[in-house]
Amino acid sequence: MPSNPAKLKVIWLQGITCNGNTHSFLNDPALGTLLETIEFIHHPLLPCQKTLKDLVKKVPKSDVLIFEGAYSAPFERAGVEMRTLLPALAHKAKHIISMGSCASFGGIFKENDPEHISGIVFDKENGSGPLKAMQEKVITLSGCPAHPKWLSFVIDMISAGREILVDEFRRPKELYAYLVHNGCLRNEYFEWKVDSERFGTKEGCLFYAQGCQGPYTHGSCNKILWNDVSSKTRSGTPCVGCTEPAFPKRDLFTTKTYMSIPSEMPLGIPKRSYLALAGAAKSFHIKRLEERLIDDHA
Amino acid sequence: MITHELIERIEGEAVLDFQTDKSGRVQEAAIRFLHFRGIEAILEGRNALDSLVIAPRVCGICGHSHLIAAVRMLESLYENAGYPVTLTPKAHALREITLSCELIQNHIKWLYLVMLHESGKLLGEEPPVALKALYVTSQVNQLCALFSGQWPHSSYALPGGVTCDPTHIEVMQALKILSEVERFIEDEVLGCGTELFESHMKNDTLGTLKGDFGTLLRNFERLELLDSGKSHGRFLVLGNERIAMAFDVRSNAQPDLVSEDASQTFENGGKTYAKNALYNGEFYEGGPLARALVQERAGISDLYRIHGDSAVTRLCARVEEMVLLCAQVRQLLTSLDLSQRSFIPPASIETISGSGIGIVEAPRGSLIHKARIEKGRIMEYSIITPTQWNLGNGPSDNPGTAQKAMIGVESIAKASLIFRTFDVCSVCTTH
Ligand code: SF4
Ligand code: SF4
Repeated sequence: MPSNPAKLKVIWLQGITCNGNTHSFLNDPALGTLLETIEFIHHPLLPCQKTLKDLVKKVPKSDVLIFEGAYSAPFERAGVEMRTLLPALAHKAKHIISMGSCASFGGIFKENDPEHISGIVFDKENGSGPLKAMQEKVITLSGCPAHPKWLSFVIDMISAGREILVDEFRRPKELYAYLVHNGCLRNEYFEWKVDSERFGTKEGCLFYAQGCQGPYTHGSCNKILWNDVSSKTRSGTPCVGCTEPAFPKRDLFTTKTYMSIPSEMPLGIPKRSYLALAGAAKSFHIKRLEERLIDDHA
Repeated sequence: MITHELIERIEGEAVLDFQTDKSGRVQEAAIRFLHFRGIEAILEGRNALDSLVIAPRVCGICGHSHLIAAVRMLESLYENAGYPVTLTPKAHALREITLSCELIQNHIKWLYLVMLHESGKLLGEEPPVALKALYVTSQVNQLCALFSGQWPHSSYALPGGVTCDPTHIEVMQALKILSEVERFIEDEVLGCGTELFESHMKNDTLGTLKGDFGTLLRNFERLELLDSGKSHGRFLVLGNERIAMAFDVRSNAQPDLVSEDASQTFENGGKTYAKNALYNGEFYEGGPLARALVQERAGISDLYRIHGDSAVTRLCARVEEMVLLCAQVRQLLTSLDLSQRSFIPPASIETISGSGIGIVEAPRGSLIHKARIEKGRIMEYSIITPTQWNLGNGPSDNPGTAQKAMIGVESIAKASLIFRTFDVCSVCTTH
């Protein structure tokens, strides 16, 4: 019988955070199986070998360091400043995962002190974070929060010793090459430029008036569903673009338009082609797309 | 002697400064929170609707409560500006369902990850990861996400209703999950049916419960802590029925009497980022115990008459609330009228100026969001979280609710456990 491979030793450390990634992670229904391949040296909520106090006393080696929350040099854990603690743990880690948009780009909490708060490798889109020199061993899992399956994917790839293909922000392509727009149930309405006139319906696309950022947001939210059942756009909420460095943008529930055309084009679509296509699509009237999907809910 | 104790495995971290006598008994306890994130400042200057995206990020475990508080605040703003917002009963019920899910998952995590674990550790018996509890909380969050799109951090409630438009399939899935959760509570948490649980509360025989809650109570009994942890006996609920209760006298609670006090914070030479929340100038306890007592719910009121606001009553109130919330969610799911509209568009936010307040009963107590907006832009935003009520840090002659509960406890380790009966959340407290 093959002997069980040694479990990956994982440290989960928090910077400036809301704990959203911690709780998102706990939603993985396959957590039990995951815990057969990893063991936590430290985790903020789960039983683990070392408390924060132990961790700062003698910085341990790890296979994976997961960092959640934004980085600020003087921010302390167990009385030790991040400028000391994070590089020390990072040097002794084989792999590093920046978990969530705060750790990846600065996220929401950067807004409070944009000068001094950043992600661990990236500060918004600039590669100027404290771990930029080690960026080769960092995997970015942006998202507010990151999906638990995205994390287990990375952990599985690491334990299998497979290479993870990444994009310019070191996000795994397998997870972030898609747009949130891919797999959205409203795609057909998008194609034919039928907008959802109001919130609270199954019909229509949220791009034209309600601010949906699905067409410019990298993420597999409509492929790997949230809590296994849904996503923002499936529940009628516009995508807020939380996996991108620009998160959080402003005026999230309205679409900026210029002469009634969305002022930002879907990713990679030249404006002229879009206009030509939109003009043509709008001239069709497709009865099916103008009616409610299920009649008795009229 | 003075000891500083770092409290971990809460939401974030806290430091307790204990003053003990020769035998180690706690004479005084000060609570410090050392992190601060500035969510209120982040909100200012933004479009008022952006609060529905930013506010949930106050807290990863009760972000949905922050969403609902923010949306109620906006609806009250509309109302005050002369544009009342109408919600259909369906939209209202959906919000109640998802909000209740958040409370249920919170209470289960608190029981297994915090209380059973920490009480076991004190007795030298460290239990393993409570996978069964985490599995069931992932299911509760799935039930929530069927309507809200995701948990944590959905933004599916807007002034005028909710963004989702569910069908019978979602309702059916939700009911199936709910049955599993109810089964978990009966089989694993209580070890008996809910009626028998009721009668155990009435007869003060909870110690014989077979489930994991019984184990927790027996852990407390072995630590001789069941009757420790008494605080001021003042309770406050602002989210639903708005009742204050002090020394058994009930009165209608008025949000106007709520104040924040910064005298213990760094701002004024203190040692914490947390401001105190006061009602009528005094510390009041919020949360499941307060909710059960002001609603005069039988089992908890019976326990309170015998044990006061001690650990046993406080622990039981959180568990009893799980049972109650499941029954309410079932009732709401079975009476949903899906033909009603999910959303009735209000006037454009850009036309609205004025002030509003939104209050929600979050897992740990009353959560308040207040704001002033001008033509749809946020000018001022103020959040008072439940934990500010319970974990507020007063001077030694006027201790806060959790502080008071720790005074007189035999050792620092035991006092720290009593502290955790309040369901500590540092991220909320400091937002
Ligand atoms: S990225 Fe979002 S979910 Fe994660 S810590 Fe930051 S605010 Fe919370
Ligand atoms: S709602 Fe958003 S994600 Fe869905 S099709 Fe429209 S633009 Fe794309």
